[in-house]
Amino acid sequence: MIPSTTRTTLAAASIRPSTHHSCRCYTSCLPLIKRKIYDRPLFRLLHTARESLKDDTPFRKALKDAAKKDKKEKREHLNRPSNPAKLRGPHVDNWELTVGIEIHAELNTVQKLFSGAATSVNQAPNTHVALFDMAFPGSQPHFQTQTLIPALRAALALNCDIQYRSSFDRKHYFYQDQPTGYQITQYYEPFARDGYITLYPHDFPPGSAHPNEPVTIGIKQVQMEQDTAKTIQQPPSTHLLDFNRVSHPLIEIITLPQIHDPTTAAVCVRKIQAILKAVNAATAGMELGGLRADVNVSIRPRDKQLTDYQHSYSGVTGLGQRTEIKNLASLKAVEDAIIAERDRQIELLEGGGVVEGETRGWTLGNKSTKRLRGKEGEIDYRYMPDPDIPPIFVDPELVDHLRSTLPRLSDESVHILTNGNQYNLTPKDASTLLALDDGERLDYYYDVVERLRARFAAEPAMEARIGKSAGNWVLMELGGLVRNEEWSSTRVPSEQLASIISHVLRKTITGRTAKTLLSMKYDGDERPVDQIIADENMLVRPLSDREYEELAKGLLEEKADMVRDIVEKNQFKKVKWFVGQMMARSAEGTVEPDKAEEVLRTLLPLPREN
Amino acid sequence: MVKGLKYGRDRWYRIQEDDARCVVCAADPRSEPTWSVESLLPNKAQSADAPKISSKQLHHLLRLSALPLPETPEEEAKMLDTLSAQLHFVGEIQQVDTKDVTPLRAIRDETKAAEKEQTITLETLKDAFAQEKVIGKHHKRIQRDTTIPIDASDVEDWDVLGSAERKVGKYFVVDSERPQE
Repeated sequence: MIPSTTRTTLAAASIRPSTHHSCRCYTSCLPLIKRKIYDRPLFRLLHTARESLKDDTPFRKALKDAAKKDKKEKREHLNRPSNPAKLRGPHVDNWELTVGIEIHAELNTVQKLFSGAATSVNQAPNTHVALFDMAFPGSQPHFQTQTLIPALRAALALNCDIQYRSSFDRKHYFYQDQPTGYQITQYYEPFARDGYITLYPHDFPPGSAHPNEPVTIGIKQVQMEQDTAKTIQQPPSTHLLDFNRVSHPLIEIITLPQIHDPTTAAVCVRKIQAILKAVNAATAGMELGGLRADVNVSIRPRDKQLTDYQHSYSGVTGLGQRTEIKNLASLKAVEDAIIAERDRQIELLEGGGVVEGETRGWTLGNKSTKRLRGKEGEIDYRYMPDPDIPPIFVDPELVDHLRSTLPRLSDESVHILTNGNQYNLTPKDASTLLALDDGERLDYYYDVVERLRARFAAEPAMEARIGKSAGNWVLMELGGLVRNEEWSSTRVPSEQLASIISHVLRKTITGRTAKTLLSMKYDGDERPVDQIIADENMLVRPLSDREYEELAKGLLEEKADMVRDIVEKNQFKKVKWFVGQMMARSAEGTVEPDKAEEVLRTLLPLPREN
Repeated sequence: MVKGLKYGRDRWYRIQEDDARCVVCAADPRSEPTWSVESLLPNKAQSADAPKISSKQLHHLLRLSALPLPETPEEEAKMLDTLSAQLHFVGEIQQVDTKDVTPLRAIRDETKAAEKEQTITLETLKDAFAQEKVIGKHHKRIQRDTTIPIDASDVEDWDVLGSAERKVGKYFVVDSERPQE
């Protein structure tokens, strides 16, 4: 229902400051106002800062460098005869890609995971830190039970089984952003297991190749863990540390290696991000550093006869050696890093090489991933149960309560909005409404529909048109006005928009008048719509029979040659030209084409047929 | 039901109803010991057969533990000897049959009553739920009320940077370079 121009506008609003080539849009439909955030280097690092040295470079500089590099490559490309084999790239079609994703998301909580210190964003450094957060000798962790609320909601929304008992473990490694020398996480007994997420065709960006059937991706587990301190680089080797973020509660969501396409991986991350926001489990998305993804990438030949592919991850067997790419901070980075790593592995294997199990990094705008270090084996982390933290027991009644009060998720909303005649929206429009303004736009839409239904209570036949028409006005017409501004549901109150739409549906005002009315209301005209219509004399006044006749007669006299063509040469199609002229020469909406034709045929005279 | 522990013949016994069992091998105090503390330490001959730890492995372990590397070959040899003795000890401990034994993670009350007391319920979280509101008239969403001021001064009111060796403004300062692989 949204014409493509508007879709493009919505998409354009969400693209980051342009990188070297036009990119597909995943964070679709964020209003422009939010884009400004991207311009500031607000990058924050979740828990894996060791491999993230590059990520502290200000975002603008990263973009500039990427653009420079791209320009240079293009120049070189022009000066050199291209190698056709290289241009075609590796033989992607001969290989099957397998990807598993780990997503780290900052939970929306008042306090840290193991202390009463407050969680914070952008506060003076080192002002929200308890003794335990600094690993002060003798301090003890105290699990903050309320951090479970967003964690459980997230896991329920991802269809996981909540474990009655879970516990915390220590993952040992030394780095300055982790003062204890270990991260507290849930390795042996995570609090949630065996979930899944379903990706529908409408979850994919417009124009991308997407599967026709829904794709289901298993969630192996969800675990709670600590975030690390924030590091500010002072090149070459100085680091400034702010421990406000240390021990901020995170959840890590681990998918099964069931993704075989880079776009699907990005769509999966985007949907998980949207789900976490929808249940208020996380508030900051990737654009604010509140969510980061690591991807595990492996390839195997489509010809399964080969027996060199014996790796197994999370119970999925017969896979190639995987590499892990850490700390991807945008959906585009997720997709591009997977493509680059897939192509690197294919080239390596086709050249007779071997893929090493290792950790790799990806910098925005780069064409390939870069080795950071050999993969630490899990044994190197020396996981052990944390003896200072008792196991967590979750009352099943609490889980039931959270499940039954969980906000309606996007899949269900889309289903309601698109199936049957209740709302009659397309999946694309439904998901656009859902994604806009943190759900405010959808709430407004429902309100407009409710008010319209009250106005048409005696005409049940109108129900199917109400939903679609309201969608059009809320997304397209009002959406066009809001485009560059912050959404407010009171700027054009829902009752006033419903009034405009009902006039259109009853054909008492013209479409053009309706648009004028809407912009008057949007620009602050305080009169009710009905009063504006009366004051400005906006109602459609149909022509009387006499006026129809006078108009038609005048035209027929004016164009006597055309009348001859019709009457003598039987060029009946020219009647339509007269109809068009009658409509064009009267006020919009006052001439009905059928009636005009009838009057013309009577005057000519012509039989009704032909 | 374990009533207590007692020490004798070089080992600890778990005292049960009318019985006592070695905590390690479950033998009773009358039987011939199947092990002794001595057997946990390597003798000269054994340390010679012990699995050889390479210098590379030692350095890897030291790096993981953020410990300094040995400065002389003698120091390294001594470290390798110590590590080898420790590994022998661990090897002996690993001989113990732990099938169906739940690992002891911490000493704490693990009775059903204690578990019930620790269980997190709606009641435990009622204050947190009270700080949430439902927004939206038709499309209802949950929102944690972030306007409620948080007073965490009881745990935050201390000189966080007080024992910092180096600082710049309100930041801790660390110098470090990524190790070259």
